[in-house]
Amino acid sequence: MKKTEQRDLFPGALEMMILRILKRQPMHGYALAQHIKRCSNDLLQIEEGSLYPALQRLLKEELVQAEWGISATNRRIRIYQLTKAGTKRLERQVSQFERMFEGITRVLAPGES
Amino acid sequence: MNWIKQVFSRGRESGALAEEIHAHLEEKIAELVANGMSRGEAGTAARREFGNVTLVEEDSRAIWRWTSVENFLMDVRYGLRILRKSPGFTVVAVLTLALGIGANTAIFSAVNAVLLRPLPFHDPQQVMVVWHTPPQKSFPGVDKFVVSPANYLDWQRENHVFSQMSAMGFGSFKVTGLGPPESVQGRGVSADFFPMLGVSPIAGRGFVAQDDQPGQAKVVVVSYSFATSHFGDVQNALGKTIKLDDKGYTVIGVMAPKFDFPFQAALWVPNAWTDTERAVRGNHSYIVLARLKRGVNKTQAQAEMDTISSRLAQQYATDDAGWGALVLPVRDLVIGSIGPALLVLMGAVSFVLLIACTNVANLMLAKTLGRRKELAIRSILGASRGRVMRQVLIETILLSVIGGALAFLLAHFVVRAIAAFLGDQLALGIEMGLDGWVLAFTFTISILTGVLAGLTPGWHLTKSNLNDSLKQGLGKTSSDSGGLRVRSVLVVSEVALSLVLLMGAGLMIRTLHFLRSADPGIDPHNVLTVPLAISQTKYAAGQPQATFYESTLELVRTLPGVVAAGAVDSVPFQGGSTQPVQVEGQPIQAMADQPEVPVRQISPGYLTSMRIPLEQGRDFTNADNAGAPRVLLVSEAFAKRFWPRDNAVGKHVGLTFYPDQSFVVVGVVGNVKMDGLGSTRPAESVYGAMLQNPETQSVLTIRTAVPPTSLTSAVQAAVHRVDADEPVTGVLTMEDIVDQSLAQQRLSMILLATFAGLALLLAAVGIYGVQAYAVKHRVQEIGIRMALGAQQRDVFRLVVGQGFKLTALGIFTGLVAALGLTRLMSSELYELSPNDPVTFATVAIVLAAVAMAACYIPSLRATRVDPMMALRNE
Repeated sequence: MKKTEQRDLFPGALEMMILRILKRQPMHGYALAQHIKRCSNDLLQIEEGSLYPALQRLLKEELVQAEWGISATNRRIRIYQLTKAGTKRLERQVSQFERMFEGITRVLAPGES
Repeated sequence: MNWIKQVFSRGRESGALAEEIHAHLEEKIAELVANGMSRGEAGTAARREFGNVTLVEEDSRAIWRWTSVENFLMDVRYGLRILRKSPGFTVVAVLTLALGIGANTAIFSAVNAVLLRPLPFHDPQQVMVVWHTPPQKSFPGVDKFVVSPANYLDWQRENHVFSQMSAMGFGSFKVTGLGPPESVQGRGVSADFFPMLGVSPIAGRGFVAQDDQPGQAKVVVVSYSFATSHFGDVQNALGKTIKLDDKGYTVIGVMAPKFDFPFQAALWVPNAWTDTERAVRGNHSYIVLARLKRGVNKTQAQAEMDTISSRLAQQYATDDAGWGALVLPVRDLVIGSIGPALLVLMGAVSFVLLIACTNVANLMLAKTLGRRKELAIRSILGASRGRVMRQVLIETILLSVIGGALAFLLAHFVVRAIAAFLGDQLALGIEMGLDGWVLAFTFTISILTGVLAGLTPGWHLTKSNLNDSLKQGLGKTSSDSGGLRVRSVLVVSEVALSLVLLMGAGLMIRTLHFLRSADPGIDPHNVLTVPLAISQTKYAAGQPQATFYESTLELVRTLPGVVAAGAVDSVPFQGGSTQPVQVEGQPIQAMADQPEVPVRQISPGYLTSMRIPLEQGRDFTNADNAGAPRVLLVSEAFAKRFWPRDNAVGKHVGLTFYPDQSFVVVGVVGNVKMDGLGSTRPAESVYGAMLQNPETQSVLTIRTAVPPTSLTSAVQAAVHRVDADEPVTGVLTMEDIVDQSLAQQRLSMILLATFAGLALLLAAVGIYGVQAYAVKHRVQEIGIRMALGAQQRDVFRLVVGQGFKLTALGIFTGLVAALGLTRLMSSELYELSPNDPVTFATVAIVLAAVAMAACYIPSLRATRVDPMMALRNE
């Protein structure tokens, strides 16, 4: 029924990236989308819309908080920023991810048996 | 944690999200336009990159939801809407289920009252009743017997398994000095009776060991209702003196409200046996209750009692040889004979419910098949199989819960009817009614019923191929079985279930018929029975008691409308004494080996009043009094058994309860079924002359030329002319007594017949439904057959044949099941085998006829199929 993640992302990847980006600076949804696109060099096929369910999930878990503000282009935007819990979660997820990544790399590395 | 906040922020969040998405798209468009796109193109591009806006919104919203609960509520709302849309189906299904569940609720409330509700004392599962088991030679078929004082005392002294053991005697006391004389239920108990049960008086004190000694001041503990009705309130009762059987007793305690154990007792007095009474071993008249020691179970207690019994049997061979002990949970007292009947009924109603379930499953199946397309579309749109299954289940559960609510109301009335019907049988301190347990039961079986009814259609639906469903339109292709096979199985089981029920009802009806036409040996019409209990203090044993009855009967006989009057210590069907007898011409035997037969004490006039024929010799006269030689009458069966070739008159008989006396038989009378119409014991009995062996409690039997109850007050007046203090209560006609003796079988019969009728009706509806559906489904095939020259007759045969096959299969299955199941009711049957072929045949024929009738209308409709119409419909 729910297909918020693109198939080439593992569950939670999008949330992790959002948390990482927001850690550097608070941002609104559109800027987040553009940021991800830019940073990944368009390698990740992410529908912009799928950002929003992810943001809602983070809101619900109180990992981020949102406030309304006015953008540079004079638009009413909703700015997301990391909470303390969000920071902690990010640290944990990144280290988990790194371990997983390392494991996968080792398995994939040629020559060893 | 913060879910409350979320519930409130949810709505706000959804608005914010919409605005946010809108802003996102606007910003994107603005950027694209700035890069040189036209506004139209930019809009399309922005949306493309964003994805499905609605889906995003929905998914985001879903995050805030308690998905399962809300999905469930949605399904319920949807289910309710569906049910509202087809009111006909809903009403039929709800009523069907209400009948099924209602029947179960009603019977369960009886089961609850009799078998389940906790008894009014502490830790009741530790309390046992210890019965004597008589030697089978003397008491064929009797498995439980009350206990004699000496045996009880031995048991009490020698056992190591019970912490307390208490003997309890039955009887009624005449209460005087508190308004008009009345007769109340009292229990003689040993001192540790209340401690053994773990209850104590709410006011005053219970008995102490000293109270239980002979010659002590007489004390009584009364029930709450006795205290309040006689003394206004509890405190007021304490210390008062009441006269029981003309002896003064001081009220020392009042029990808690509703404590009336056992069997609606109003007061309890200590047994206070004298040494003579304590030594009685052969006269069994006490119920023994005992509390298991902690850590001892029933089996261990039984083993210990077996050991003690065999020791006693050796030690006291005369009295105890062949006697054993049987340890049963105390509930056994309450259940009595009603237990097995209730379980049979519970089985019967569960069958009714199964049939109701089957019918609803059938209806649901037909309905869901019509909705196949809708459900297929839902599946394709992403509804999982589980979700579709759940939808069907929710609909059937909704039906059954609504049905259950209705059933609870229905049961309320049924239970009252049953309670009224059972009347006396329920006088065992059982209150039937709907309580929390019954409500919980109804709710649970409602849910289960819903699940059961929904499983088949749900399963059938989810396993069917979606593509086929969509292609198939309204199910016209002949390859589609349309669930017909499933439905056929349902019909077969319905027929089988109703057959079992009909069989049960049929057996009960025939039993009752046999019982009614059984000859009791007396003529119960126009006989009034008036129980009297005279006081031992006022009338010393022997002549004074005899004189009381003699003069009372003299007076009663002069009343206009009285044809004959007599007295007996207990009337037929109401129990009474049995004694070992030593018969002339038989070898002298130890008492345990002597045959036991009912022994009644009767006055002159008793035989005439009951129309028991005198076959030989003479009736008793007033001359057969204490001064005359001891005389006896014996029944024909008795004479035939012991003196098959000799004349019984003039033979001598010894009675255990009258040692040192020799009785001579002066006459032979007709056989009487002492234990009830269904009695299987041979009617071998002995009558002594009441004037020689009077009893304090006797029953006047008065044959009248007018309706017997019209004489009640005249008889009462006559009794009071002899003794104004003599209570006259419990006056019944002999027909009432006969009737009461059949109450349980009659109730079983009525209930079983009702349930079987219900089952038959439901099964007929079920068969009709399936046949009608089958015809509708085969319209095309029938059209083609007719176009090819089939006659109406052939079509009719085709369709009816189908129905007949199912019915026959159902009947066969049912017969096999009934062969096994009716055995469970054999204890309720009279002169009938549980596999009575007449009942089997009748039931099978009735069922077949009803099934055929149910097939008839759809089959008729099939013959009216217009081939042209049928084919054009394609």
